[in-house]
Amino acid sequence: MSRAADEASLIGRIAARDMTALRALLARRQVRVFRYILRLVGNAAVAEELTNEVFLEVWRNAGNFDGIGSAASWILSIARHRAVSSLRKRCEESWDQEAADALHDMGDNPEVAAQKANKGAIMRRCLDALSPEHKGIIDLVYYHDMSISEASDVLQIPENTVKTRMFQARKRLSKLLKEAGIDRGWP
Amino acid sequence: MTQQAADVEREEIEKLLPWYVTGTLDCAERARVESYLAGSPHVCAQLDLIRAEREQAVFANEALGSPSAGALDRLMASVPTARPSLSRRVTRGSPFQRVANFLTAPTARGVRWTAFAAAVVVVLAAAITCLLVRHGDTYQTAVGQSRGDGVSALIAFEDEARAPAIARLLVEFDASIVDGPKPGGVYRIRLRTAVRPQSERDALLRRLAERRDIVRIVLPSRD
Repeated sequence: MSRAADEASLIGRIAARDMTALRALLARRQVRVFRYILRLVGNAAVAEELTNEVFLEVWRNAGNFDGIGSAASWILSIARHRAVSSLRKRCEESWDQEAADALHDMGDNPEVAAQKANKGAIMRRCLDALSPEHKGIIDLVYYHDMSISEASDVLQIPENTVKTRMFQARKRLSKLLKEAGIDRGWP
Repeated sequence: MTQQAADVEREEIEKLLPWYVTGTLDCAERARVESYLAGSPHVCAQLDLIRAEREQAVFANEALGSPSAGALDRLMASVPTARPSLSRRVTRGSPFQRVANFLTAPTARGVRWTAFAAAVVVVLAAAITCLLVRHGDTYQTAVGQSRGDGVSALIAFEDEARAPAIARLLVEFDASIVDGPKPGGVYRIRLRTAVRPQSERDALLRRLAERRDIVRIVLPSRD
């Protein structure tokens, strides 16, 4: 049985109130859901509580899982909804600018100066400075290995918008890298 | 093909490249990208950029650690209260079914028995602890042993690094791979070293990172 089919089967057992299946799903997905939320909300305590809310919702609504998409994308769509609700009062645009400003403001920090010798560290700092919208699509594709259709399910947007958002996120990343002194020659 | 059409085609292909690198395109899209790349070596250069982005995105996520054990306990404690109308569970059936229902359904009676059993376990655990303390024995929990036993790190190896060289490096640093490969070829390793000050742990990882012939990148991990 494939991993996706296996997880769909677990959701089916959870719908029948099988606690063992819930524990198995938690063992597979809890950490990734936590990290996905944490990358969006930026607070570990909040991310822990939201992660718990996600799996409680899975427990309550497993019967609503239609099996058309993957279980992973269904769970991450719940996680995204919870994270976005938590961030609702924060304007993404200003957050992006705030994070970008912080990237520059920390330029005199000795630790940052040391990090400048490391391209990877700069790249990670720039990834952190992306808006939640851009960081979210980057994580879905690069870390959670979501296909275009799965990312479309998670984000509740058309597949063409998924592709465009990823493209824009990568362009924004290149811009931040250029501002940090790394010109990648693209776009 | 006009220049405008060529630009549109190029942008469409560029938009697909991240999924081409992660191997999640369907067959038709994959064939379309490969056909384009075959005639456009300058677009191929983007693949390395995307691999680098992916590698750092994986590191950024893996370095976040995991939720606390307390979070899981809180979740599992709240799950039974989320069960709908459990008191109406089936009580008929064979003796085996009744036992199974009793064990799986938290009826009021079941909850009382479970609470009683939990209380007995707590009293027994307290008694054993007192006995150990009274006899001057020392003991350590399994969690304490695993947490304090070494340094955890995320590592990616150079593409050219061969398995025997990687194995020798792991032996040299008394390390073992505990998880992976994750997306981007990242592994989680544990170095079995005695607990040391943070500065010494950092120095250990720096020494590992200096082995550039084998190690592409290494980062501390919270797990």
